[in-house]
Amino acid sequence: MKRNARSASLILASAAVVALSATSCSPAADQGGTADGDQVTVTVRLWDEQVQAAYEKSFEQFESANEDINVETVIVPFANYTEKLRTDVSAGNVDDIFWVNSSTFGAYADSGNLLEIGSEFDSLKGDWVPAAIEQYTRDDVLWGVPQLTDGGIAMYYNKTMIEEAGVDLTDLSWHPTDPAQDTFLPAMQKLTVDAEGRTAEDPEFDASQIEQYGYNAALDLQAIYFNYIGSNGGTFQEDETFTFAGDKSVEAFQYVVDLINEHQVSPSAANTNDNGSFSRDQFLQGNMAVFQSGTYNLKNVSDGADFEWGIAPIPAGPEGRVSVVNNIIAAGNPDSENLEATTRVLQWMGSAEGASFIGAEGAALPAVVGAQDAYSEYWEAQGADPSQFALAAEGETIGAPVGANFNEAATAWTPIFNEIFLGRTPVGEGLQEAEDLANAVGE
Amino acid sequence: MNSTRLSRREAGIGYALLAPSLFGIVAFLIFPILVVIWLSLQRWDLLSPARFVGFENFSSVFSDASFARSMIVTLLFVALVIPLQTGLGLLAATLLTRGLPGSGFFRVIYVIPWISAPLALGIVWRWIFAPTDGALNEILGVNIEWLSSPALALPAVAVVSIWSQVGYVTLFFMAGLVAIPEQTVDAARIDGANSWQIFWRIKLPLLRPTMFFVLVTGVIASFQAFDTIYALTPGGGPQGTTEVIATKIYSEAFEAFNLGRASVMALVLFVVLVAITLLQQLYFRKRITYDLSA
Repeated sequence: MKRNARSASLILASAAVVALSATSCSPAADQGGTADGDQVTVTVRLWDEQVQAAYEKSFEQFESANEDINVETVIVPFANYTEKLRTDVSAGNVDDIFWVNSSTFGAYADSGNLLEIGSEFDSLKGDWVPAAIEQYTRDDVLWGVPQLTDGGIAMYYNKTMIEEAGVDLTDLSWHPTDPAQDTFLPAMQKLTVDAEGRTAEDPEFDASQIEQYGYNAALDLQAIYFNYIGSNGGTFQEDETFTFAGDKSVEAFQYVVDLINEHQVSPSAANTNDNGSFSRDQFLQGNMAVFQSGTYNLKNVSDGADFEWGIAPIPAGPEGRVSVVNNIIAAGNPDSENLEATTRVLQWMGSAEGASFIGAEGAALPAVVGAQDAYSEYWEAQGADPSQFALAAEGETIGAPVGANFNEAATAWTPIFNEIFLGRTPVGEGLQEAEDLANAVGE
Repeated sequence: MNSTRLSRREAGIGYALLAPSLFGIVAFLIFPILVVIWLSLQRWDLLSPARFVGFENFSSVFSDASFARSMIVTLLFVALVIPLQTGLGLLAATLLTRGLPGSGFFRVIYVIPWISAPLALGIVWRWIFAPTDGALNEILGVNIEWLSSPALALPAVAVVSIWSQVGYVTLFFMAGLVAIPEQTVDAARIDGANSWQIFWRIKLPLLRPTMFFVLVTGVIASFQAFDTIYALTPGGGPQGTTEVIATKIYSEAFEAFNLGRASVMALVLFVVLVAITLLQQLYFRKRITYDLSA
């Protein structure tokens, strides 16, 4: 029995380690630049493989003019980029340069984990997209070199489906309370078809047998609900306080939720809440007529669609067409062992020449204005016209999410948002609860 | 003097031989436990310096309804998984040790889910359970939201866990059944016992040590279940109905970046596991364990 007791103790002890180490494990890897003789290596972390391919070509040119620096790119999938970056920064294992988006940069800037973009970049700043500089300036300091700008949001559409339904997407409008002013919903109903060929306008329409969705209303911050909030005159944040339970924002959310659950022109949130690619896949497989998204999906649509497609503006709300505009920066690691080399690589990434590779194969729209022509030329040659994204960005916009506690707040509100989009929690009640929780984070 | 010197020398050699495993225990067991205890008294978001907050994290966690809910979900999950996986494993082991045709093939089939990557299994099952174009709905000709329904999500997740663990349980029961001496079973048969009586009166009592091991490891694994559940229902599932304690700890640590609260939850899990394992040990110690080595 003593032996049995000892075995049990060992099992207990093992269990304790596994249980306790759940909190202390981290996906940290040994990253960061190294020095090898006279040459130093600078590492650049990002999440986009298409841009990585462009960076490789860009850095080849940089290395040929800077033989003392070797630049290596490191891909971390977006699905766990946030968690891995945070743990790697904490462990001191982060790369010399890394991409950051607006919802996470505040926490890094406030804790001194980003390199200040100082006077050594002054000659380049004039060529950077002003909205990107504004988005990533905190306490009067710019915290990264703008790399990508998503432009605005627009609607990709399947030309055959649109023509067959006789729908004109160029000047649609939605209204949260007055159906007479809503031309968008009837259009999407025409485009939603069941197995018997009946559209969602038909009283006999069978929503359990949808063969073709009209639209991709879903719990999607950038592509969907920020734009509806903005177009209805609502707000999501004011400074860093969450305000999405205001009347105008509630109306906007209600409209989007109704597209899914009441009018059933979009896939159920059971499909989309945990699967951000569902709608894009449905569109590319020819099961969805209209897919609202940004330039970040332009390459995917171009490569994946085997049908004719086009791009139309988003529907106008009571306050017009208001689109969210987001930008991505490359931030420097202030604790890099190769700070001088890191700065030189960042300067190259912020130059028109260095950034032109990003646009040259249509991977993304560079946030360096002088490099954007290559992007337009590429898509022109492909027969695509991405001008709707630029038009959306030039029009009325709503700011992308910001704040030092944004991720923590999003963790708090996501389960409630999930239930709202599934139609199980009333919109106003759920948003108020989510807003209270989000604002309580960090107190 | 000589004997003292010898015993000191022997003790020195003993400690030297123990040193490697002692290092392992201290570095990978004691130290992490101490770190987690220390973290439970801090407020730390991984970026700013950790700040001592006393027992604030404990009071915050113990007054948090979502933590209480995750404990209840975990208990429900264990209550669903353990009886079924143990029963099915025992049934499969009994059938596989009868030497029926194809037993070898099924032994391999049963074990494949257990040796497969849990995260990959979760992704495959997520496709099977998908409401639109999911394999299960296509086969049944229905349109059920298996993983989004608060009533169905936990049973669905439990089914996947049972399916992936049955092979492991079967392996141990098979080893236990094979170790039962033939003559014991033959003697019972000569005395007139039928198959059912042999199973209940002979085999099951002799399987008690195996049962103890399978239950202890099964309960611990179910309390710590993470990867398959996370892959199937990220974010805690509908209305938190699949947010077991392990996914709650992960979410608190690496999504909300509150390492202090996550550490408190880990400590609670630790205490619960210790208590349950001791209770199991107490229960089984009172029962007779047959020594068949003679």
